[in-house]
Amino acid sequence: MTQRLTIAIAFTLALLLLPGGIVRAEDNALKFKLKPGASGKLCLNCHNDMQETVKKPFVHTPLKAGECIGCHSPHASSHGKLLAAETGSICRLCHSSVVPADAKSVHKVVGEGSCMKCHDPHAAANKSNLVKGGNDLCFSCHKEMGDAVAKARFKHPPVAKGCLTCHDPHASTKGGFLLKSDVPGLCLGCHNATKPLFIKQHMNYPVAGSRCTSCHDPHGSDRPSILYNTVHKPVANRMCNQCHEEAGSANPLKTKRTGFELCKGCHNDMVNTAMGKNRIHWPLLAGRGCLACHNPHASRQKALIKGDLLTLCGSCHKDTIQRQEKSVTKHKPIMEGNCIACHDPHGSDNLFLVNNASTIELCGKCHDWQKHSTHPIGDKVKDPRNKNQTLQCLSCHRSHGTDYKHFIPFPTTSDLCVQCHEQFKR
Amino acid sequence: MRRSFIPIIVILAVMLPLACQAAADKYKQTTSLYKDDKGGSLKAPEGVACTDKALIVADTANGRLLRFTLGSDGVKGGTEIKVPQLSYPLRLQLAPGGDIYALDGRLHRIVHLTPDGAFAGYLDPQGIPAPGTMSIRSFRVDGSGTIYLLDLFGQRVLVLNQAGAFIRQVPLPGDHGFPSDLAVTPSGDLLLLDGTKGAVLIARNGAESFSPLTAKLQESVSFPTYLTSDDRGGLFLVDQDGGTIATLGPDGSPTGRIATLGWKEGQLYYPGQVAVCGSTIVVADRNNNRVQLFEALK
Repeated sequence: MTQRLTIAIAFTLALLLLPGGIVRAEDNALKFKLKPGASGKLCLNCHNDMQETVKKPFVHTPLKAGECIGCHSPHASSHGKLLAAETGSICRLCHSSVVPADAKSVHKVVGEGSCMKCHDPHAAANKSNLVKGGNDLCFSCHKEMGDAVAKARFKHPPVAKGCLTCHDPHASTKGGFLLKSDVPGLCLGCHNATKPLFIKQHMNYPVAGSRCTSCHDPHGSDRPSILYNTVHKPVANRMCNQCHEEAGSANPLKTKRTGFELCKGCHNDMVNTAMGKNRIHWPLLAGRGCLACHNPHASRQKALIKGDLLTLCGSCHKDTIQRQEKSVTKHKPIMEGNCIACHDPHGSDNLFLVNNASTIELCGKCHDWQKHSTHPIGDKVKDPRNKNQTLQCLSCHRSHGTDYKHFIPFPTTSDLCVQCHEQFKR
Repeated sequence: MRRSFIPIIVILAVMLPLACQAAADKYKQTTSLYKDDKGGSLKAPEGVACTDKALIVADTANGRLLRFTLGSDGVKGGTEIKVPQLSYPLRLQLAPGGDIYALDGRLHRIVHLTPDGAFAGYLDPQGIPAPGTMSIRSFRVDGSGTIYLLDLFGQRVLVLNQAGAFIRQVPLPGDHGFPSDLAVTPSGDLLLLDGTKGAVLIARNGAESFSPLTAKLQESVSFPTYLTSDDRGGLFLVDQDGGTIATLGPDGSPTGRIATLGWKEGQLYYPGQVAVCGSTIVVADRNNNRVQLFEALK
């Protein structure tokens, strides 16, 4: 009964509103003495180039309907191209479902509302008004990925088919990296884990629930089975049982030991050396041990590092990396992600795990200080600010950057100098 | 009418900055320790522990401890305590009877010294549940002599009695960043400092798990490495990279900071440990090669 009543009310309202709307549009046309086609078709009289544009195979629906005012204000606007609002906001008026509320990952350009980086708002030769077709569009931004895919000796066929085979271009509710489904579910859509060859290739280990991308590069690689280019020796030798319990055991994926104790079995010298230092990089001793920084199976990076050092080191030392990012002057090794140019990532006898006891010698590996300054430094030169300090590079500079030029912690050089040379203070 | 407001505005303009400064300047630097009693310089001191009468300093890069006395006439002494079993002291604790405990950076073990500085043995926990391996990042000894160990390898806090026998353990939460330190409040709550997420977690007295005490503190601290509590539950957080000591209320809310980054007296450069003895705050000002004392302003 209630349902019937609701439908009746909705129907009545629709009847009332629909003619009302038509009447209002007609009213406006009369009221403002609008010429026929004023909402769009008329625009093409001046915007001749648009006449050609609309001949393209894929035309944006409002333009096809002659509704330029769907996006543009005819008289004035605070936005470029007389747009009625910011690009992203306009697109969302019709395409609101592009980014689901529960998205786990969102394409950066979509989040920024830069829809036109991929789509032509008027018309295009490609479906969905895309400005380029296929992977060319993706690789125009993801250039490094495009190069890597092109160079890879062993290709992953879905990549050639199109990035959208695995990725959603706008957002994903299923996983990171805009993946249509999380790993391993996505992979198992094509790869049958019950096939004898699959089982044999994985040394009879039940890997169907494991993360395939911990060994395989989904975009292709130079190694058979698209393993990442750097492979841990036991994996390359198919000796999984060197670290894991036997494939036929009750817990085949369980490692024989945990933390650094597992890795120590082979990397005994490295672990002992690090542990013999005055200062150890604490994650090495923690629950995950070496795996805090290294992948146990394979990696794109040398030494099985989990990622580039800026990202990896920055995951804990965020403030230090951010200091460099904000710094007016950049320190080249940091910019290049070469943290190990100065630091030993495992252990050291020196503060900050630097690989040289003398700061002057450490900096001197790259900087010949005499060339940029003749200020006295060294073990015999006392710091006037602190009688237990001698002057060295870090007396005036902070190696990971400051808000000011030349890594100095004060706005001007004069401000720095008068810290010690107080007689010249104004 | 308008003129009558001018003096009020002037007074407010003068008073407001003064009021703000008063809120920020709750501590004043009183003393800096640069030398031992023989004139030897401190080198990268990383640890400090104190009572109302004694101050022990871990003179880390010199591989020794120094004992000072605290009194109404200031800080005196600086007697060297050097034992071959302790080559790189990082963090210190004083037990109720005066025994000294030091975490050695090279051995990753806790060295136990008698009150007069003689080697009494390594702290070897007894009856620990698996895993048998331990990696001690930090530790505490509370007023009753109970010992708390932050075990990175076992991802837990171990609670031991004075003799080193296992009492209980509290697992670290699964979604933590990297634990840098632990602390015990006067009411027996256990605090855990998550250095990389910049948060303090709490396990209430007797609780078997940690829960968040503070929100992420990254807005106010850069890289927190050490945490301690005063006798009223106020918290002192060493912000190593920020060159300061952040102060928090017992509920974890930020209340201020002691000192700023720098080289001059009253400033800190990569501080190590902080200890609270009554109204005195002692800071191992590591990269300034000194120890500084601050006094709470009355």
